[in-house]
Amino acid sequence: MGKLTFSMGGIHPHDSKFARERAIEQLPLPPVVYVSMAQHLGAPAKPVVAVGDRVKVGQVIAEPGGFISAFIHSPASGTVKSVAPRKDLAGNPVVHVEIAVEGDEWEPSIDRSKQLVTAIPDDKAAILDRIKACGIVGLGGATFPTHVKLSPPPGKVAECLIINGSECEPYLTSDYRIMLESPKEIVVGAAIMQKVLGGCRCVIGIEENKPEAIRSMRAAVAELGYPGIAVQTLKKRYPQGGEKQLIDAVMRRQVGSGGLPIDVGAVVQNVGTALAVYDAVQKNMPLITNVLTVTGDRIPGNLQHNYRFRIGVPLSFVVEQAGGIPDTAAKIVSGGPMMGKAVSNLDATTVKGTSAVLYLSEAATRRRPETACIRCGHCADSCPMGLEPFLLNRLYKAADLEALEKHAAQDCIECGCCLYSCPAGVPLLDNIRQAKGQVMGVIRARAAAAKAAAEAAKK
Amino acid sequence: MDKKYIVSPSPHIHADTSTTTIMRDVIIALCPALLVSVLVYGWAELLVLAVSVASCVLLEWAVTKWLMKRPSTVGDLSAVVTGLLLAMNLPSAIPLWIVFIGAVVAICIAKLSFGGIGQNVFNPAITGRVFLLISFPAQMTDWMPTPGFITVPDAVSGATPLSALKEALKSGSSISEFLDANGYTAASMFWDIGASAGEISAGALLIGFVYLLVRRVVKPWIPLSILGTMALIAAVFHWLVNPELYTGPAFNLLTGGTFLGALFMATDYVTSPMSTWGGVIYGIGIGLIAMMIRYFGAYPEGMSFAILLMNCTVPLLNMWFHQKKYGRA
Repeated sequence: MGKLTFSMGGIHPHDSKFARERAIEQLPLPPVVYVSMAQHLGAPAKPVVAVGDRVKVGQVIAEPGGFISAFIHSPASGTVKSVAPRKDLAGNPVVHVEIAVEGDEWEPSIDRSKQLVTAIPDDKAAILDRIKACGIVGLGGATFPTHVKLSPPPGKVAECLIINGSECEPYLTSDYRIMLESPKEIVVGAAIMQKVLGGCRCVIGIEENKPEAIRSMRAAVAELGYPGIAVQTLKKRYPQGGEKQLIDAVMRRQVGSGGLPIDVGAVVQNVGTALAVYDAVQKNMPLITNVLTVTGDRIPGNLQHNYRFRIGVPLSFVVEQAGGIPDTAAKIVSGGPMMGKAVSNLDATTVKGTSAVLYLSEAATRRRPETACIRCGHCADSCPMGLEPFLLNRLYKAADLEALEKHAAQDCIECGCCLYSCPAGVPLLDNIRQAKGQVMGVIRARAAAAKAAAEAAKK
Repeated sequence: MDKKYIVSPSPHIHADTSTTTIMRDVIIALCPALLVSVLVYGWAELLVLAVSVASCVLLEWAVTKWLMKRPSTVGDLSAVVTGLLLAMNLPSAIPLWIVFIGAVVAICIAKLSFGGIGQNVFNPAITGRVFLLISFPAQMTDWMPTPGFITVPDAVSGATPLSALKEALKSGSSISEFLDANGYTAASMFWDIGASAGEISAGALLIGFVYLLVRRVVKPWIPLSILGTMALIAAVFHWLVNPELYTGPAFNLLTGGTFLGALFMATDYVTSPMSTWGGVIYGIGIGLIAMMIRYFGAYPEGMSFAILLMNCTVPLLNMWFHQKKYGRA
């Protein structure tokens, strides 16, 4: 097969993978770590430790707060100092467990050796339990609890497990580095998930701008010899790694509005998640570390790093260890330049889904002043969901919720292609985000009303 | 953090393309045709171009500043594009005060009275041209060639091929007699034909358009549907109805404002449909109307009227045609 890609929209920003040659370093531990209780999609976790408790590395400190939620483990050994609200990245108060770090004492059940374990356990339920107990969530961005995704509802069958190694966001290199440094572990992780899903085929999708990663993963797949796993080259095109886009690219199927990937027989997991699954199932290692990239435009090489960090280390500590904030930085982003969040609070902590600390210069990040829409259609051409951002923007300003729903504002994946490509600097995504929120509210209210009516009819 | 950092929603990076760079690309794309017209029509042509562009830019600046009291939009270069396109629609011998009136109609009436760039319903340059055609028919159809920097042997009579043909047909001669008498061949029509500046060389216009395609400024669907429709209609009438009464595809595509209109006027972002299928319908409409005017109308040329008429349908086409959405039938 040639190179695959999704069927509509997309953009080609410069990939700016300046940190690609920087091997992963271990980020040291700070004196204090702050572990957020809201670092996955779904309900926040409930803390199960109290002030004064002594904890070990890998010990459970919070339990799932609902069906869609996840366990959280201590990233360090030490004493719990507080369990209290603290400001997150955006400045919103979220409950954090504060731990004063003392030594580095691990839970004894965790296998910390580098020994590759290729034999996959037979019991699927046990594997799922382990993934859940280790607090594994999707590391591709959405941090959706992995065990939920790996448990298709009755009647739905997974036909293809897609492992996302596209890393289509510019600047980010953490997935690239793990594909070079831990390819076999990733392949074992993929094989584990493949087994849980009932032995469907597995496609590892990697963009063409990472030929070394493609070679490395192909070699690992060939050497380990699990059946039904293949590496597929994808074209370089953002947002190739979007779940819906990747399914379109690899399977030529599209997920309906409001639907789930499993509706078309797809399960998508990030390469980082596959590695975490390997660690969890083969090594009993909970999700207490992840890899992030420290990079940016116009900054010297010695300020660029790929770090394996303990989840709960404050961003300010990452920045300090990486050599400080460069003078050219005008904006600090947590995550990629297309979908990451601007940091207003460097004291905020790292979470499971943290993928990068990105410094952008004024020139790189400045929005051009808004001028009149010239109806060039670049926004519609670039929308990977086939939406018409110019129209949604207009309907949002007219507060026409009915038309917004008809023109599928709720399908927006907030990838940023429209705002990226607008020559008139119209804040398309800013407005469409608001519109999407309003339309989702209407849809939820309608569903709730329908449910209530159905129950009333039963009585 | 001591220093203040920018906090704004994603995306945090933006493409280099701006309204200004798009307009600059259009200007670059017009250069080959501009060069040919200046070479053929000389200083007079250069003067028409200069007056047209200067008038458009100054009028836009003055009206936005003093009447609309808004930041000037001169910097986006759209007024320069309008000025160039207007001039390319005029004969080189036209009195300069008429050029200025055309600029007033294009910029002040067709563009700014609707709210400026992005808001206008009608293509400004074509509106200016049609206004002049109706108001000053004598000057607008006087194609006396002005002395150029090069001489083109086989082109350039006092009238454009389309109007000369109209006259010839009225006086009872047939099309083949007319073509022979004037020495028109497909090749001569492609590279040089006496007409208004921008209509002189379909080849030069095509080179510019290919540049716009490569730069992804425009998509080919609108021009293709216009040219395809015109070619089809001309083929049917020429070969199936009466070859001595109706001109054929090559003649219709390569004379008059066909190329300038199809490639540069009908593709104006603001006044053409947003969706691909809307664009195709719009193009078919333009081709159809232009050919009907040429075959059956009083005017020898129909491109301008066809584009203006189809401009009216754009809001409707935008309402009817949408692009295909992901995961929806």
